Amino acid sequence: MSATRFPADLAALAPLRDLVKQRADAAGLSTSRGYRLMLAVDEVATNIVLHGYQENGLEGHLDVSVEVTEDNELVVCLEDDAVAFDPRSLEGPDAEDLSIPLEERDEGGLGIMLAMDGVDRFDYERVGERNRNTFAVRLKE
Amino acid sequence: MAINVSECQAVKVIAVDGSIDGKTAPEVQGEILPAVAGIDRVILDLSQVDYMSSAGLRMLLTLYRQFQARKGRIALVGVSEEIQDVMSHTGFIGFFALADTLEEAVALLEGTS
Repeated sequence: MSATRFPADLAALAPLRDLVKQRADAAGLSTSRGYRLMLAVDEVATNIVLHGYQENGLEGHLDVSVEVTEDNELVVCLEDDAVAFDPRSLEGPDAEDLSIPLEERDEGGLGIMLAMDGVDRFDYERVGERNRNTFAVRLKE
Repeated sequence: MAINVSECQAVKVIAVDGSIDGKTAPEVQGEILPAVAGIDRVILDLSQVDYMSSAGLRMLLTLYRQFQARKGRIALVGVSEEIQDVMSHTGFIGFFALADTLEEAVALLEGTS
């Protein structure tokens, strides 16, 4: 599986989304599910660039690969060399938090919630010195 | 990403063209906030916005709080189905007046519809 390399910079978000969208379309994913997958990858990539790399004074890359597996899943794999971070460790807002009026709302955690809710399966692994975030959506039989 | 400021029936209209993500949201916010300083009604035309991440939601939250503080109102026009889904999922949608056209947005802000 060959990966596409992007600089760990917020300017890479748009081309990264384009890649995911193009592959989702090619795999026959519906517009709305393709959008949610693209959003999920974008939110996690944004976190990696801002909190994994920039806050720690690091520069590096995002390596992205997209494939359709034998189990008929579209799988996006996002790897980086930033500090270890498992997005699942962030506690996103729950239903009660989301019912709070906007003027009193804590704005944190929305991105990670959208990422986790936007795919059928999300996995994180630390592989050697790398972070690997995996996003999977089921394709129709 | 581009911002265009105009008026519709004496209500200021701010049209955004492009994607609102972690990179562009601070830029969009930096242009919108000075444009809405001191006014109590605004229409945000998002019909040319094809993508909005949580960074865009945080921008909307900042705008909402400013308008709320001065008893103002914000109407959003042309929000795509995908972005509406995200706003609904995050509990944002009920806090904004949503319209399909500028005229409808003006009517909503004036409380006539």
